[in-house]
Amino acid sequence: MRYETVMGLEVHVELATESKLFCGCSAKFGADENENVCPACAGMPGMPAVTNKKAVELGIAAAIVTNSEITRTITFDKKSYFYPDLPTGYQITQWFAPICKNGWVEVETTAGKKKINLKQIHIEEDAGKLIHEGYDTSLVDFNRTSVPLVEIVSMPDFRTAEEVVAYLEKLRSLLTFAGVSDCKMQEGSMRCDVNISVREAGSDKLGTRTEIKNMNSLKAISAAIAYESKRHIDALEIGDEVLIQETRGWNDSIGKTFSMREKETAADYRYFPNPELMPIYISDEWIDKIRVNLPEPAVEKYVRLTGELGLPEFDSGIITGSKTLSDIFDDVTKHFNKPKEAANWIITELLGIAKGSNKGEDDIQIDCVKFAKLMELVDNKTINRTIGKKLLGMVLEEGIDPAVYVAKNNLGMIADTGVINEAIRIILADNQKSVDEYKKGNQKVFDFFVGAIMRKLGGKADPKVVNELLIRQLK
Amino acid sequence: MDCYIVDFHAAELGVGAEVALEDSVMRKGLPAKAGSKILEGFIAPFDATVVTRLLDSKYNIAGRIGMNEFGLPSLISAGTNDIYDAVKAVSAGVVSYALCNDVFGVYRRRAAEEGICYLHPTYGTVSRYGLVPMACSMDQIGVACKNPDDCFGLLSVIAGNDPKDGTMYPEKSYVYSKTGKELRIGVPAAVLNQADEGTKESIRRFAAGFTSTDMELKYFDVYKQVLYILTCAEASSNLTRYDGIKFGYRASNYKNLNELYTRTRTEALGVEAKLAAIMGFMVLSQENYIPYYEKAMKIRRLIKESLRFGEYDIIVLPTKISDDSYENLSLFALAPLAGLPSLSFSFKGCGIQLVADAKNENALLTAWEGVKNEI
Repeated sequence: MRYETVMGLEVHVELATESKLFCGCSAKFGADENENVCPACAGMPGMPAVTNKKAVELGIAAAIVTNSEITRTITFDKKSYFYPDLPTGYQITQWFAPICKNGWVEVETTAGKKKINLKQIHIEEDAGKLIHEGYDTSLVDFNRTSVPLVEIVSMPDFRTAEEVVAYLEKLRSLLTFAGVSDCKMQEGSMRCDVNISVREAGSDKLGTRTEIKNMNSLKAISAAIAYESKRHIDALEIGDEVLIQETRGWNDSIGKTFSMREKETAADYRYFPNPELMPIYISDEWIDKIRVNLPEPAVEKYVRLTGELGLPEFDSGIITGSKTLSDIFDDVTKHFNKPKEAANWIITELLGIAKGSNKGEDDIQIDCVKFAKLMELVDNKTINRTIGKKLLGMVLEEGIDPAVYVAKNNLGMIADTGVINEAIRIILADNQKSVDEYKKGNQKVFDFFVGAIMRKLGGKADPKVVNELLIRQLK
Repeated sequence: MDCYIVDFHAAELGVGAEVALEDSVMRKGLPAKAGSKILEGFIAPFDATVVTRLLDSKYNIAGRIGMNEFGLPSLISAGTNDIYDAVKAVSAGVVSYALCNDVFGVYRRRAAEEGICYLHPTYGTVSRYGLVPMACSMDQIGVACKNPDDCFGLLSVIAGNDPKDGTMYPEKSYVYSKTGKELRIGVPAAVLNQADEGTKESIRRFAAGFTSTDMELKYFDVYKQVLYILTCAEASSNLTRYDGIKFGYRASNYKNLNELYTRTRTEALGVEAKLAAIMGFMVLSQENYIPYYEKAMKIRRLIKESLRFGEYDIIVLPTKISDDSYENLSLFALAPLAGLPSLSFSFKGCGIQLVADAKNENALLTAWEGVKNEI
C-alpha cells in the first residue's frame, strides 16, 4: 500500500525588537541568567503591561511578506495555566483577534513550485526557561520571559520533508530580509513544531496525529520527519504499536522521537482579552508606512544583483541566501564600488575564513568600512592579494584598520623592478640545479621559484610582476 | 486612639501634610501585601507613580495602612469584616490623606458614613503603576480626606499621564476648578426609592440646590452581577501570579509542584479571595465564557452607552440601600464599570454619592462648592 504523510507547521520566530513585548527589559539573547529581568518579568505585582509598538509593527511586516490579510482591530489576550516558567500564571497572546489570517508562501522543491497556506500569525510573549539540576532542584531563568514572538501557523499542506525544509528556508529569507527576526535556529529565535500524520494515498481522512518538538536544525527536522513518518507507517503496516495523539520530542543524538506527554483532555486556558491592554487599531496608513519602508526582499535583490550589477547567478544566489551576507555586500559596495570584486571577496575569502573558524554565515560580524578599504588597497595595488587575504582575517577577528596596519608594518607592495630582479637573480643563482631542470622542460620548478622569490621579498611583491621578470631571466 | 497605620515610615514623618498608603500602593522598601498573607515578605521594589509625584511635591508618606484582602469586599461575612482603616485614620486625624483603590465602594460608603469624603477619579487619569492589581480595567487610585476641596488638591498632584500605564488619557496634568455653568442633577428615582427615608430626604434637599431632572439608570438591577462577574474574572487572573515560587508566602510542607501551589494558596489566601478566584475561573472557563463573561462585558458596554451626560451633569446616588453588602455593590458599580469619577460625602447626616462624566471632575467640585455651606 502507498502512504502519504500530511504535515502542518507551527513556527515560532522571535521578533527583532530591542526590548520585551510588555516591559522595557532588553530582549537580547545571551545575557547571564536573570540579567534581563524586571519586577514584571518575575511576575511581581504593580507594573501594568504596556505593548511594545515595534513588536506590532514587525508583526505587520510579517503579515505583509506572507501575503496575509491583516486584522484591523487586534487584541492581546490572556492564556492561563500554571507552570514555574510562566511567572504571572498567564501568557499574553492573541486568541480572539490575531494580527493576520489566510496568508501563503510559495516554496520550490525538486517537484516544482507549491503554495503553502497559512492559517494565521499571532504575536505572543515567550515563557522563561527551566534548568533542571539533579533530582530535586529546578532553576528558572526569566530572561526569555515576555520576549516577543510571532507564531506562524500553517495549514496541513506539507507532504514531504523537502517541502518543510524549503518552507522554513523561505520563511527565514522573507523574515530576515524584512527585518522581522534573525531566525537563528541554534539560538532558538526560530523554532518549529511539526504536526504529522500518515494516511493511505488518496484518502481524505487524516490519520492519528503526533506533534514533534525540540528540533534545532533543518537537518534534525528532516531526520525527525523521516523517523516519525516511518514509525507511523510501521504502526499501520505491522501493527506492533498503536498510534496515539501525543507530543513527541526529538533526540538528535540517537536519531529517534520519544513520547513527552499524551494530549490531555483539552486543557481549559480561560482565554480572555487582557483588560489592561486596549485593542489596537491598524490603519491603512500604518500598514502603507510599514510596507514602503520594508527593505528589499531577497528575490528582488537577486534580480538586481544579476541584472543591474551583472553578478553571476551563483554569486547572487549565495549573497541573497543570507541576510547577513547581503547586508555586508550592500555596506561594502557603498565604499568600494566594484560589485563583482566585492562579491568575490565575500564568497571566497570572507566565507572561507568564517568556515575555517566554524562560524555560520549569519554569525559573521565585520566592520564593512574597513573591509571596503582593504579591498581598495588590493585593487589599487598598494598591497598584493595574498597579504590582503591575511589582513582580512585580522579585520574580521581583531578589527584592525588595514591602511594603518599596512603602513605601520611596511607591507606595501614592492613595485621596484630592480629590487625584484635582484631577488630573482639570487634565487636562481642559489638553485642552479633547478634552473637546469627547468631548461630541460620541467615546468613544475617554476612555481618553486616564484614561492622562493616571494618569500625573499617578504610576500610583498606583485606575483604577476614576479612571473614576468622571472620568465625573462630564465630565458 | 487607634493608630491604624501598619508601619510608619519614620524617616518621612514629622513635616508637611501626611499621606497614608493603602497596603496595595507601593512605596519602595516597604512591604506591599494588599492585605493578603500570600504577599507576606514581599517588599515593594519601586515607588508607585503616585508616590513619586507626592514626594516630588514635598508631601510626606506616613506609612502603609490595612485593607480588605486585595480590596475585595466582605460578602461571605456580610460586610461586618470590611477593613477600611484608611477612612478611620483620616477621620481620627492620624493622617491628612489616604490613597486607596476603591472598586467595590467600601471606601466611598464608609467615608460618607464617617463624615469624611472619598474621591474616586476618572479611570485613566491616575497611574496604576505601583498599584497591586485586583481588576485592571477598574482599579483606580483615589483620595480619602476630610474635605473635598483638599481631595481635588491632592488629586491634581497625582493625576496625569504616565507612560508606564497603557490605559491612561494623554493629558499630562489636570487643573480642577469650579465651573461657572449651572449644574443639572440627574436623580434616578427608582434607585432612590430603595433607600431609607432619611437618605431620600437628604438627596432631595441636595438636588433642590440645583436644577434637577428625573432619570433612569438602565440595567441597574444587574449592576452588581456585572461588577462581580467582571471583577472576579480579572482578580482571578491577577491572583495566579501568587504561586509560592518566586516571592511572598510559600507553604512549608509540599512534596511536589502541585502541592506547593495548592498548599501555598490554601494557607495564605482568605475566603473572599478564594471565592473571587473560583468565581473568576468559572466565568472564564470554556463553557461559561459566553453566558457569563462575554455577556457581562456586553452589558458593561450597554451601561456606558445608556448614560446621557448632557441631559444632566451629575448623577446622585445613595451610599446604602440595603444591609446586604452584595445588594449595595450596585450603588458603587457605575463609576468602575464606566470609568467615571465619583465623590462621596455626608450630606444632612446621610451618605450621598455623585457620579460625573469621564474627566468631568470639575462638575463634582462645582456641586460640592454649591452645597458645602449647608452640609
